[in-house]
Amino acid sequence: MTLQQDAEGNERKYLHAFADFSNKRVLEIGCGEGRLTWKYAPASSLTVGLDLDQDALRVALIDSPHDLKRKLFFTRAQSEHIPFSKETFDIAVLAWSL
Amino acid sequence: MVHALSEIRRVLIPNGILIDLRPLLDRWSIEVVSAREIKETGRVQDFPLGLADDESANKSLTQAGQNGWFNRNREEYFSYSYSWDTPKEMEAWIEEEWEGFIGMDEETIRATRSAWALGDADTRVRLNVKMLITQWKVMNEP
Repeated sequence: MTLQQDAEGNERKYLHAFADFSNKRVLEIGCGEGRLTWKYAPASSLTVGLDLDQDALRVALIDSPHDLKRKLFFTRAQSEHIPFSKETFDIAVLAWSL
Repeated sequence: MVHALSEIRRVLIPNGILIDLRPLLDRWSIEVVSAREIKETGRVQDFPLGLADDESANKSLTQAGQNGWFNRNREEYFSYSYSWDTPKEMEAWIEEEWEGFIGMDEETIRATRSAWALGDADTRVRLNVKMLITQWKVMNEP
């Protein structure tokens, strides 16, 4: 299949227009395979991707760009029980998941 | 969903930002596209399950706002396109990824296949998804 997504780059454009990710700690809820994650994680100081789908998280981990490995983490958890203490993140992204 | 928003608020700093990015059902348009022309061949059908899903998400965010957890700062719509080499690839994708949420009627399927078959060598099929992006700011506790 020759699927192309968002050839115009609108998603990236709007995401960065709506939040400044520079040196921010970001939590992404519903990160899946990390398709959206790669679009802002390079600017962040820390990015955590949350998802319930273990297979998708495995793909995200494998596909993680090498230069992001030190600041990018994935964890399997429900959004109703986020395994972090209060006030850990500057930005949360609900990625196609509400 | 409201519980999830409460959790998100808990882990965000005061004045932290929540970005809600999601597709909204709105009878997304289907086009047959080549370098020479763009032809709309129909629109997908929105199914009750998908519409209820959108409604539920909207209600949860409204509730979070009414609870004083978040303040809506900014909101916009934009288009997110998917495109395929052939109509059959699109039909298979809709069936697999959006089963129960959206579908295509026979007339749209026929019109899309026909326009694609008569198109140039570079002709593709495109689905334009309506996206909603909203910026919410954590409201500080009194």
